[in-house]
Amino acid sequence: MSIQVENNLKNADNTEIFEQKAHYIPCKIEDDGPANVDKYFEPYVTDNNGELSGSFRGYPLDGTKMTFPEGYRAVVVTEAKRPLAEDAERKFQVAGGFKEFTYWNWDKKPSKNDNMVKALDWIDISEAIHGD
Amino acid sequence: MTIKSLQELKDFIKSKDNVRNFINCSDVPDICKTEPCMLGVDEAGRGPVLGPMVYGIAYCPVDQTKILHTLGCADSKALTEEKRDDIFTKMLSEEESLNNVGWVAEVISPNYISNSMYRRAKHSLNEVSMNSAIGLIKKAAESGANITEVYVDTVGPPEKYQAKLAEIFPNYKITVAKKADSIYPIVSAASIVAKVTRDHALKVWQFLEGLEMSHTEFGSGYPGDPLTKKFIRDQIDNVFGYPMLVRFSWSTAEHMLQERAATCTFEEVDDQGATKKPKKSISSFFAKPDEEKARKRSHKFFEERHLTVSNPFE
Repeated sequence: MSIQVENNLKNADNTEIFEQKAHYIPCKIEDDGPANVDKYFEPYVTDNNGELSGSFRGYPLDGTKMTFPEGYRAVVVTEAKRPLAEDAERKFQVAGGFKEFTYWNWDKKPSKNDNMVKALDWIDISEAIHGD
Repeated sequence: MTIKSLQELKDFIKSKDNVRNFINCSDVPDICKTEPCMLGVDEAGRGPVLGPMVYGIAYCPVDQTKILHTLGCADSKALTEEKRDDIFTKMLSEEESLNNVGWVAEVISPNYISNSMYRRAKHSLNEVSMNSAIGLIKKAAESGANITEVYVDTVGPPEKYQAKLAEIFPNYKITVAKKADSIYPIVSAASIVAKVTRDHALKVWQFLEGLEMSHTEFGSGYPGDPLTKKFIRDQIDNVFGYPMLVRFSWSTAEHMLQERAATCTFEEVDDQGATKKPKKSISSFFAKPDEEKARKRSHKFFEERHLTVSNPFE
């Protein structure tokens, strides 16, 4: 299988499309599509000196803003139609991206022991192993 | 600021944040600072799936209880909504009541209730209730009321509750009873404070979710109310479930979301709130070790960081 990613947005005037808001929710949501984040979630987020609190489906959430390591950013891609054949080439379009996101824990203050923080360690390690 | 009418009560509630608890209280009548006082505690809106639960207290001098009869404080459930509004209006505006009867109400938001019941270490509705009642009694005493007797309405077994309150307030004569609001007029007064506050909180509820809907459309909030049933069935957001008016932790809401919204799975925890480790099945001890799998096990570094090689496009 080969993957092709097309970026029709690279000359776009608005840089905002690559600076969208994103939330990492500590829960598996079996859905793939638009979500009313600005109406159902964000009005209820409160910020107490960087310690964020929110609520999802009645569950209390504690959050913090996170950025990616230097030189990294997130890109969102979409696929118009998945080809039927397993080995066919797949085409993705860049739909936008984000430079920071809000990381949420369920009823637990975010800390350096969180999986997300630990996972991002790899970027520094890989730099040391594979870098020039 | 002390409110003086039901309109001011509405404005006050409206000025508050829907998802946070808040307290509304009268001034402490001067006579209550010197004379020994009795205090009643009751709640409104414990059962509904919609809207806040409200705890209310009322207090007055032990030898001034006739004012409660003059006001018409009796079993609040036997009173009509108009009658309750009428009594509370008198408590807010009439000289004789203002000079003798003080009150405090705490509005406990539906979101606070859901969040408490869905904590890692769950807080039951009973704990939420008891904490509110204790907080309100303390508040009355701290603001200068000379409390000597406390009467509390309860739906659960009175003995345990009574023992707990007696431990916290050793100097008060404490009575916890079922149906206390129909026995003790001071509890009826507390019940009216709570019920009128809850009714008005629903009347002025504003949906930050953008729903244009009034309380006449979502009903009383009791799961049996046809309007409430319809609301719970129809006002579902596939991802977020419900607007914050709803108590997510009520089984009525839980079941409806299981059926009609995207499935959401949170980490499984035990009673103390610790993450559950997946258990090995008995048969796994007898099966031949999967050599292929064992060989492919990644380094501890990756395991600890939950990193695996995978293809998100699969």
